[in-house]
Amino acid sequence: MRPHRGECVVAPARDSRPEGWARRIVALKGNALQGSAGPSPGFSLGITGLALSLLLPLRSLPAQAIGQGVELERAGQYDRAASLYFATLRADPTNLAALLGLERVLPPLNRLEELLPVARRAAAAGPQRAALRGVLLRTYVALSETDSARSVALAWAADAPRDEAPYRDWAIALEDYHHHDAAREVLLLGRRAVGRPAAFAIELAELDQRTGDWESAAREWAAAVTESPAQLPNAAGDLSEAPEVQRERVTRVLTSGDPPAVTRRLAGELLLGWGQPQRAWDVFAPSVATPSADAAYALRRFADLAAASNTPAARRVGALALARFAEMVPEPLAVRARADAARAFLEAGDRAAARDVLERVARDSAAPADAQALAQSAVIEALIDGGQLDEAGRRLDAEGRLTAEGRAALRLRLAEAWVRRGDLDRAAQALARDSSVDALAQRGWIALYRGRVQEAQQLFKAAGPYAGHRRDATERSAMLALLQQIPTATFPELGAALLTLARGDSVPAVAALRLAAVHLETGGSGGGRPDILLVAGRVAARLGPDERRVALALFAEVVRTGGSGAAAPAAELEWARLLERGQRTAEAIQHLEHLILSYPGSAVVPEARRELERAKGAIPKS
Amino acid sequence: MKRREFLQAVSRIGGWAVSARLLAYYPPIRLSAYPSLLIPMDDAQSDHLKAYGVTYRVVQAGIKAEWLLNYRGGSFLVPDGPAIRRDATLAGVGFEAVDDGQVAGIRGEIEANNMDAVPLEKAPKVAVYVPPNAPPWDDAVTMALQYAGIPFEKVWDFEVVAGKLPTYDWLHLHHEDFTGQYSKFYLIYAGAPWLAEMVRFNGDAARRLGFETVPDLKKAVARKIRDFVENGGFLFAMCTATETIDLALAAERVDIAAAFADGTPMDPQADRKLDWTRALAFTGAHVEPNPQIASFSDIDGHQVNAGPRRQPLGAFKLFNFSAKIDPVPTMLVQSHRQVIPDFYGLTTSFVRDRLKPSDLVLADEEGAPWVKYIHGDHGKGTWTFFGGHDPEDQQHQIGDPPTDLSLHPHSPGYRLILNNVLFPAAKKRELKT
Repeated sequence: MRPHRGECVVAPARDSRPEGWARRIVALKGNALQGSAGPSPGFSLGITGLALSLLLPLRSLPAQAIGQGVELERAGQYDRAASLYFATLRADPTNLAALLGLERVLPPLNRLEELLPVARRAAAAGPQRAALRGVLLRTYVALSETDSARSVALAWAADAPRDEAPYRDWAIALEDYHHHDAAREVLLLGRRAVGRPAAFAIELAELDQRTGDWESAAREWAAAVTESPAQLPNAAGDLSEAPEVQRERVTRVLTSGDPPAVTRRLAGELLLGWGQPQRAWDVFAPSVATPSADAAYALRRFADLAAASNTPAARRVGALALARFAEMVPEPLAVRARADAARAFLEAGDRAAARDVLERVARDSAAPADAQALAQSAVIEALIDGGQLDEAGRRLDAEGRLTAEGRAALRLRLAEAWVRRGDLDRAAQALARDSSVDALAQRGWIALYRGRVQEAQQLFKAAGPYAGHRRDATERSAMLALLQQIPTATFPELGAALLTLARGDSVPAVAALRLAAVHLETGGSGGGRPDILLVAGRVAARLGPDERRVALALFAEVVRTGGSGAAAPAAELEWARLLERGQRTAEAIQHLEHLILSYPGSAVVPEARRELERAKGAIPKS
Repeated sequence: MKRREFLQAVSRIGGWAVSARLLAYYPPIRLSAYPSLLIPMDDAQSDHLKAYGVTYRVVQAGIKAEWLLNYRGGSFLVPDGPAIRRDATLAGVGFEAVDDGQVAGIRGEIEANNMDAVPLEKAPKVAVYVPPNAPPWDDAVTMALQYAGIPFEKVWDFEVVAGKLPTYDWLHLHHEDFTGQYSKFYLIYAGAPWLAEMVRFNGDAARRLGFETVPDLKKAVARKIRDFVENGGFLFAMCTATETIDLALAAERVDIAAAFADGTPMDPQADRKLDWTRALAFTGAHVEPNPQIASFSDIDGHQVNAGPRRQPLGAFKLFNFSAKIDPVPTMLVQSHRQVIPDFYGLTTSFVRDRLKPSDLVLADEEGAPWVKYIHGDHGKGTWTFFGGHDPEDQQHQIGDPPTDLSLHPHSPGYRLILNNVLFPAAKKRELKT
């Protein structure tokens, strides 16, 4: 969250507000607070009191009065509500709902001091009731009567030696008035008094966070999660907000010496979130060395968190976690976990590890059929990605456990891999028995790479706009628009150039496209020449500095010779983008303006206008 | 866009025998004898917001334009010329070339209906009150000005105290909390580094300018702004600035700032001591006495951050005025939509009971006890207050990305902002209401 200075803002409706931990404590007591954005103690705790008051047994008349009071509060008639509450207390001095009502309505009326005598009376009449003492304590704090507040709190603590409530309520009250240091002292005092080293650890951690002492916050959270491992997600959520400069210190606090397993897990989660997946695993792994239900849960959680991160390293450690998880859980779960681990290894680029895991699943006759199919599919994918296309093809033919859709997808992937290898015959062979639109689209590309322009057009049209992903469809449409301008039925030079591009040889592909364009010009009417040069320019623009200079020249040529076709404005837009990337903004602006003015009907004008606005700083860069 | 280019373009198109230079010495005349361009502002327009920028630049170049109030959504009539066409085309602003006959037809329609043609003769010099370290995407008005391509300068406390406001025609205020309480952000964002920086920055400014506290500084700034209006300036304020500037003016000798702002608690008798005769728009308001409540006073109807007091958003409706009799409010409400979805701000709306009788209500929420958009005179100048933070961001929170106006080129809410920028360009004699 990077805030701007001084924006007119609406408060966030989540639990990171100053009194967040106070609300959490109250929630632990079984009360639910409304999601109010109001920070006032009268409102935030009063709402707690409102919830509490609704749980208490009420006699009918006072209950009616309280109900009326609440309605008056809602209508903003605090004066009348206060009168009702006072009247209730005259009849029943220990009526908690009335006291809490006054605690809510008197501050906006600037009459909080009127609460004191009734609160004192109530506490004196019912000293065994913690809630009444709480009201008195909070009132003293709100009125800045420090000594009286202290006296009430200590008396309460003396009556209930091991009870944390006096110190907690006292600290909450101080915190609500932003007396952070005093709140901390109270909590430390309470910790000593109740004799539990981890007492108030969460509250102290949040105080530390507020004042920017993340090291201390980490220490407190470590104590909190050691005592209550269920707090680990809260700890991770809070500590993850530590500024970058503090993260190493936080990590050191959590990992120094021989920390307990739960603290290691906390450190592991944080490091994962902070973009250090391998280190996260190194810290985390010892905490799951011994199989247990607890360790299995932690591994699953770690794997899920790793999966949320989009880096190969994170996927890899996620895969490690899943593989370890598979060793701790019963078979059906284990098989699924291994398949997931294999997929994660593949996505991380670790084919060897993926294959090891998958072979195990594929060999496991006890594994469920769908898991085996999944594993077999992943093995074939791994073979394709590893370049073992013959072996992949053989397994694809032999493997009977694959689903029809899975098999079709693998055939397509195999065909693409053959294309990348340059073997168009094997690519076509892989798709021989496939009549899907995806296969038609791929066959269209194969035909094009063979230079069969007309055949490619027919296949692309037959495939339609729904084959493959949207990006594939867009690419196909763009290519179809180009092919439709080529006057001949075949164009081997273009096919060869595009195949070079498909194989990833971008630099030779640019040269080949330029040669193809020359051939088109000398051989025929020149139709499609600017579009081919535009393709070449776009490829070159993504490469190194030398090729980018070539791109600029190509775009200039297309603009100069493109005539009234679509290629010229598209080339000018690419030209401007390339200049803008090279910080040549003034020149980029000139080209964008030229484009807008010279080709008003072009489909790229809206894009050009947006680029122009961005270049001129008229809209924020996004 | 150079004035010379515009003039040359006009002289070529119009076929006048006079030089562009001579045009500058002739009194302004209606160019209805020449072919013109109509920039429609109804649903035919492709970019309503940039249309204001095109018109502003025409006027800035010394060419007279006309604002055709209530005609096709408040359209503009400018002279035809390659430079103007170029500017409009680049901006994506739609225009229609109209010949003399068509112009005559337009004028006839204007005459026969609740419409008027107001000459725009001088582009106002625009200032935005904002700290020097604020990013450009900080408020709706600077975003609108950037998007429309209307130049502006930034001023802050140093410039205001040094007396630089009179060099501008138009001043915008947005986020500033003129009560000096940092918008009470500490209640929600205590400990946040940016808040600490804001406190440090303002405290430093107060010291350097010779004020004991930030509230004292902001009150002095508020008085300077009021003087600017009194001497003929145009003030446009949104969000927090609307409510707090008046609170600061009314509390000239009263401490209404909480202890965290100036070290002393607010005066418990503050309400009784406020002098509303010093304020611009509001009267009889009650200052929020509780420093723990994120509200300034009961001027704001929605009380967005005051917990149970918060009111839900509805929609507000622009009033209709007589264009010929009340051109100023008519200019301020020009829009192609009459009902506009509401949007929050630290000050979202203005409770009716807190308005001065002389305030002119330009838009309100039907049936609600508050209004949204108000206008009034003060001395020789005028002020306009528009509640809320960003018309295209109903509930803006710190950290949210800035609004990209290229995605809202037809925003009726932003049109209201730009109406305020352009209306000072109208000929002086037309501004009487």
